Amino acid sequence: MSFLFGGGGGGSAANPSAQIGQSEVVNSATTEIEMITDLFSKLVNSCHKKCIESNYKDSDLNKAEGVCLDRCVGKYFETSKLVTEQLQKLQQQPQ
Amino acid sequence: MDFSRFSGPERLQLNQYIQKKEMKDFMQLYSNLVQRCFEDCSNDFTSRALSTNEKTCSENCVGKFLKHSERIGARFAEQNAEMMEQQAKLR
Repeated sequence: MSFLFGGGGGGSAANPSAQIGQSEVVNSATTEIEMITDLFSKLVNSCHKKCIESNYKDSDLNKAEGVCLDRCVGKYFETSKLVTEQLQKLQQQPQ
Repeated sequence: MDFSRFSGPERLQLNQYIQKKEMKDFMQLYSNLVQRCFEDCSNDFTSRALSTNEKTCSENCVGKFLKHSERIGARFAEQNAEMMEQQAKLR
């Protein structure tokens, strides 16, 4: 996920467990896919827990659930941005 | 994902990886969904078979989950695009 820490990119360069015959580009591409799908499944689980009523009277999302989901995703991303910024600040501080 | 920046063998490796991952993710989705709907819908064990209520509930649970993840996917794509744009501006 390149938005973390301003696109580290070189993160996988130091990975000694890189498979033999697997190029650097392939490695970083698979890492990126891994991170994006991981984020997506976290979103699905968190927002389901927070927004979907568990009585299942209907198989459609009701209005409240839909609105909740939209806001949930927005908030998740905003939180992620906030945490990134805070961590960056922490990193920049002299030890 | 933009595949044009990869060489032939790299593309092959990536395709194999994606195929494997799709399979794995699907199995995971399936088993999570079974667990989710079972936990939310089946709470009465005075009978072995699913009651009509439990059946309807589970069916709705699956239907709703699929719509749920579709909606999350749409918002996710929007947010991601927005983020990429902001990053491009910073560079």
